[in-house]
Amino acid sequence: MTRPAEALPTQEMLINMGPQHPSTHGVLRVLLRTDGEVVVNARPDVGYLHRALEKIGERVTYAQFMPFTDRLDYLASMNCNCAYAWAVEKLAGIEVPERAEYIRVIVSELNRISSHLIAFGSFTADMGAFTPFLYSIRERERVNDLFEDLCGNRLTYNFARIGGVSADLPPGFLEKTKEFLDYFEPKIDEYNKLISYNKIFVHRLAKVAVITAEDAIAYGLTGPNLRGSGVRFDLRRDEPYSVYPKLDFDVCVGSGERGALGDCFDRYMVRINEMRESVKILRQAIAQIPEGPVAAKVPRVFKPPVGEAYFRSECPRGETGFYLISDGTGNPSRLKIRTGSFVTMNIFEKVTVGLMIADIVAVIGSFDIILPEIDR
Amino acid sequence: MGLKQYINDIVEAVVTTAKGMRITARYGVDASEEVTQQYPEERREPSERFRGFLHNDVARCTSCQMCIKVCPVDCISLEAVRGADKKFVLASYDINIGRCMYCGLCVEVCPTKSLTHTSGYEKASVNRGELVLHFIHEDAAEIKARVAKQVAEAAAKAAEAAKAAEAVKAAANPAAPDVAPAAANKPAPAEPQAKEKPESEKKG
Amino acid sequence: MESFALSLVKAVPALSGVPMWTVTLTAMVLTAAILLVFALTFGGLGSYVLRKVAGDIQVRIGPNRVGPYGLLQFLADGAKLILKEDIIPAKADRFLFILAPYLVFVGSFAAFVVLPFGVGLIASDLNIGVYYVMAVTSLVVVGILMAGWASNNKWALLGGMRAAAQIISYEIPVGMAIMPAVLIAGSLSLQDIVRSQGGLLGVFGWNLFHNPFTFFSFILYFTAAQAETNQTPFDLPEAESELVSGYNVEYSGIRYAFFFLAEFGDMFVVAALATACFLGGWHVPFFHAEALPAFWGNLLSLGAFLFKAFALVLVMMWVRWTLPRLRVDQLMRMSWKYLVPLTFVNLLGVSLWLLLFKGKGIPQMIASLVG
Repeated sequence: MTRPAEALPTQEMLINMGPQHPSTHGVLRVLLRTDGEVVVNARPDVGYLHRALEKIGERVTYAQFMPFTDRLDYLASMNCNCAYAWAVEKLAGIEVPERAEYIRVIVSELNRISSHLIAFGSFTADMGAFTPFLYSIRERERVNDLFEDLCGNRLTYNFARIGGVSADLPPGFLEKTKEFLDYFEPKIDEYNKLISYNKIFVHRLAKVAVITAEDAIAYGLTGPNLRGSGVRFDLRRDEPYSVYPKLDFDVCVGSGERGALGDCFDRYMVRINEMRESVKILRQAIAQIPEGPVAAKVPRVFKPPVGEAYFRSECPRGETGFYLISDGTGNPSRLKIRTGSFVTMNIFEKVTVGLMIADIVAVIGSFDIILPEIDR
Repeated sequence: MGLKQYINDIVEAVVTTAKGMRITARYGVDASEEVTQQYPEERREPSERFRGFLHNDVARCTSCQMCIKVCPVDCISLEAVRGADKKFVLASYDINIGRCMYCGLCVEVCPTKSLTHTSGYEKASVNRGELVLHFIHEDAAEIKARVAKQVAEAAAKAAEAAKAAEAVKAAANPAAPDVAPAAANKPAPAEPQAKEKPESEKKG
Repeated sequence: MESFALSLVKAVPALSGVPMWTVTLTAMVLTAAILLVFALTFGGLGSYVLRKVAGDIQVRIGPNRVGPYGLLQFLADGAKLILKEDIIPAKADRFLFILAPYLVFVGSFAAFVVLPFGVGLIASDLNIGVYYVMAVTSLVVVGILMAGWASNNKWALLGGMRAAAQIISYEIPVGMAIMPAVLIAGSLSLQDIVRSQGGLLGVFGWNLFHNPFTFFSFILYFTAAQAETNQTPFDLPEAESELVSGYNVEYSGIRYAFFFLAEFGDMFVVAALATACFLGGWHVPFFHAEALPAFWGNLLSLGAFLFKAFALVLVMMWVRWTLPRLRVDQLMRMSWKYLVPLTFVNLLGVSLWLLLFKGKGIPQMIASLVG
């Protein structure tokens, strides 16, 4: 007589995918309960990188907080700088000169490219293909060189200022950017040939962690994670700010081309395609940029009127929103930061049920989270 | 899964693998693709606007303290005393580059452009005290003492000059009595000696 | 070994007074020492080449500071590993923890005995050569399972279980893919298999070109062997980015070095087997190595064998740095649903071919047609 399988006593394993782990994109702790290789429950535990940025925001002045926004998402530092600057300008009703807006868009899109390069590189490295990471870093170094010429730093730029940007473009910057774009565009096709459509890679990601459009909206996902599920929503198109209305680009959505709509592969491909769109935007911006001042006149001791403002912008990892409450003094009364990665962690527990441990790494990589953004 | 799908899977696997291997082979064989810079033998020249370590040209610094007020992490500290000519004299100017986040806000607000970024970035040390850069090389107390002496001398000279002027005036106008003698004899108010500016704390 | 000992006695007359068993024992120990030195050197230099190849493919320079072109890097690594603190986790099963690396190393090293390095250079030409290699490399599974369990670490346990499942699953395709070579030679002995690929056809005498089924066998063997040796795309047990080194995770210092050397030893064994069975072994194209005087014949054939084996190892490294890794269920699926049926079909095909064409391959048939 054979013994039925249910009669065999088995035990759930509680594995700690600890803060120190090569693939958690930072100090993320995931408590995995698994039945062998299959995950029963995966609960993320965040907070290992909490630096009280929002409290610091109440202690420093509006202008002094700008370097801290660098460290909010250090891979997309320009985007966070500009988001904060736009939020303060909305609060105080400051008009930014057009050249400054174009410069902000140019550096934001360049930073989007370099952020997606890291997302692509580290994701494929987590999947076991170590070489694409090196290629993406090579491209990223060129973007860093451009930024170093522009503002002096290679990672935390502190470039935007309330009312504009801190310095005008150095001579030759636009030509060098064009050179970079010409060099970079064929590389995207090379990445696709090397790894994106590789059967093993596709197999690892297809049909893994499928998020339906309804779920994505309900859980508040934004950015490539939302668009990977087929929802055509991009703040640059749907709530346009700055000079984006003058620029022509497509919103990339997942199409379920390999597997199901809203799986890890879709989110990955959205990022690859967004890099192409960013190149398009950059070419237009370089062609359209006017001459003019690069910063509006803002009083040295800046005291915005009493009130509140919320501004959200499309950062590479989702929507980064700054909510500012001003009480008329030089320091914000409340500075709340809404980041895409933090909200994305909400769906983590739901989406990882029934996956294998190797898929957890795929999910974390496809969400492209970054811990400073989650923990602030 | 039908036979067609099965064969398709195998063929696709082989073809995509071969495509990938061709790309890596091309890079593997072509040595000119290597992008490594062998530091420290090959060094990249930082760009013109590079935000390296800070440097203060103390001859030009007016101790306005704008840099201290704007620094988000309070890494600059200075002591200054008012000199005989009413201008500030720097007694000490320290920047803690271990705390500095190289944001460049202080360089932006400096009115005399005495504070600048250098292109230095190599100062790793095992001792946190080494990370505090001192830009005044004399001892602060000595400077303060010297300035206090100068101020006192100047005050004394001014008092003498005022007395001499008084005497000249009295000699020139013998018939003018009561020319507010109290006002003329009042000595010039001496500024308090070592008027220390509120200093931001200097955490090591 | 007996014949080697006898030839030693003949060569050195002074040894005739010594009892036979001493000479044989010394001969055995000497051979083992030479093979061990070779295995360790291959492990060291192999790691250097691996890193240099990785550097070339990844647009960077590999090691180049220690010694000329970084050649002494593996010595520096070895010294570092030996000098490291020997950490055994507190609740680990001490005996199994200490035993595991040695089992894994023995599992890979014991296969060196039957590898045909040259015309007369084989430690022991067992008449069950191929079967022996299959049997002995299974020790690796036991060692890895031991390492995973004894580490008292859930990640190591997962890695160990995956490794056991993987290696056992892929042994079937490996065995089946070697069978065509055995069938053509009619013997399990590796020297016989190599000799059967000789003759005046030079390169075309190789089993690789014998018939289309052996060609596919070679590719299937290479794929399955890549899985046997835990190389990407099958390196799940030691997936650096998931299991943080899997069963290796609690090992440091010289114990880790043993796992590492065992992996390289396995790579060489697999490449050597593929060379011997499919690429003509020690045959030098357009040379009749057996006809040359013993010294030159051995030297030349050794050179040819090592060249071919190293070329295959390089290909393994090339594949390693290109492909991402398979998930464990995909790994199992690939083995059982793809490789096993394909190797069975291949075996059937080769058997039918040999039956129909009386053991002749395509090059032989063309040769007999032409002249």
